[in-house]
Amino acid sequence: MTRWLVAIVLVLIVGWYLSFTATRLDRLHHRVETSWANLDVLLQKRAAVALEIAHSDIADPASSVLLTAAAYQARDADIQNRSQAESGLSGALGLLLEDSEHLETAADSALLTELSGLTDKVRVAIAIHTDAVARTQMVRRKFIVRLFRLAGTAPLPITYEFEADVL
Amino acid sequence: MLSRSLKIGIVCPYSWDTPGGVQNHIRDLAEFLIAAGHEVSVLAPAIDESKLPVYVVNAGKPISIPYNGAVARVLFGPVAFARVRHWISQGDFDLLHLHEPAIPSISLLACWAADGPMVGTFHAAAKRQKIIFAIGPILEPAIEKLSARIAVSEAARLTLTDHLDTDAIIIPNGIYADRYAHGHSQEKWSGNTIGFIGRFEEPRKGLSILVDALPIISRFAPDVKVFVAGPGEPEEVIKSIDPQLRPRFEFLGKISEEEKANFMSSIALYVAPNTGGESFGIILAEALAGGACVVASDIPAFDDLLGHGEYGALFESESPTELAKVVIDLLRDAEKRKQLSLRGKIHAQEFDWKNVAEKIYSVYEMSIVGSEKVRLASDTRPWNRFLNKEEKS
Repeated sequence: MTRWLVAIVLVLIVGWYLSFTATRLDRLHHRVETSWANLDVLLQKRAAVALEIAHSDIADPASSVLLTAAAYQARDADIQNRSQAESGLSGALGLLLEDSEHLETAADSALLTELSGLTDKVRVAIAIHTDAVARTQMVRRKFIVRLFRLAGTAPLPITYEFEADVL
Repeated sequence: MLSRSLKIGIVCPYSWDTPGGVQNHIRDLAEFLIAAGHEVSVLAPAIDESKLPVYVVNAGKPISIPYNGAVARVLFGPVAFARVRHWISQGDFDLLHLHEPAIPSISLLACWAADGPMVGTFHAAAKRQKIIFAIGPILEPAIEKLSARIAVSEAARLTLTDHLDTDAIIIPNGIYADRYAHGHSQEKWSGNTIGFIGRFEEPRKGLSILVDALPIISRFAPDVKVFVAGPGEPEEVIKSIDPQLRPRFEFLGKISEEEKANFMSSIALYVAPNTGGESFGIILAEALAGGACVVASDIPAFDDLLGHGEYGALFESESPTELAKVVIDLLRDAEKRKQLSLRGKIHAQEFDWKNVAEKIYSVYEMSIVGSEKVRLASDTRPWNRFLNKEEKS
């Protein structure tokens, strides 16, 4: 009789733990999705500002071409090429900003301020996203999660390369 | 800076009545956010309910426990947990901002109880404790519910990564830089003077280092005077001073914010000889904003805040002779002092609330997604939904 009781309690505890972990994992996946959505919006905005800068007086014709191309690539890239495209845009903006520091005019400096504000936000968004991804990967590596397939059909989140070297 | 008005719940883990860095930070942040048009409710333990500002909700009487080398007035237990849950379910918040969610107090309870957009700020800096192996697994599932983590300094960030294996964004503590920027230089505090502000009775504030350094300093600068401001009984400290040097010390007691501004712009040097336990060093930020030339011990928080010596001079922590050397050198070189305080004053703008709050707010924005609100975690758990076990109080 007691043997059955112990078995039932054990099953209940395991059941509770599984449910707890599944909720935890679900929340983590949710966090990955939302933090990526944030980052995505910010990156889109950055591409838009980059285009504006390309069409303004800040950029000389050569950088303008480079920047326009990079911005379009970043905007249209599919998920596989996204990382490379965003890195490209970061590079192009970096090149331009390096020598534009001394030739700022009042009208254009508004654009550059907007860009630097966005850059700060992108940096924060990346930090939040990478943390969510790392956490999720960690929990999903747990034996019990793999054994009971608690992650269901959710794809394993990955860190994009550009997140390490962006800006 | 603000796109829409938010309803923000802030949880303070420490007793609202006792003065402290975390409480000050929360008070300033809450008032800044309210002034910017947001609705803010702060949940905090308190002893005396009648003295609370309107935006603070009392969570109950705090319990004193020893924590991180000091006595912390925190609050936990089933009654507190029920109050926290009540506050969350009634608050209809867009976002919760939990302070110190890793220490055993109501922030942790709120983190446990709530679901939805949450931001956590970690203030403390401590050495790695072995006990974390035991409590880490309990804390981790709660801490990872936070959509974003903020650390107030590099030291606090390292503490977090050491203990809980998670990263944070660094946003410094805020000060109202303008309040200190326009102090008037006072005759009584000018000359070869050294200033110190803080609870000088606490050993970790390091006043004894300055006391031990004074015999050397006074040999090279015979007219040096030390002004010590802050709450506490000076008798014990005075006893430890060489009788011949006692006239060099003056204890001012607690001084007002306005006096603090005047103080900082009058003294020749501001000395912070803290020996540790400091995570940010708000007083240094205030000293810099007030245009004082700062000398501080090289503990990680101060080293970081002073840009490794760029905005103030550093000396080897707990070494009176090193402190004396740096002080004598600076007292003799007015030009060097001027350079340091000038750079420092500009740097202090970094810590001004308008910059700091903007950074915090952009983290809020990233944590809030769509119109998702904060709710009780138990409402969303499948078995509770199934059993309809709602315990709305």
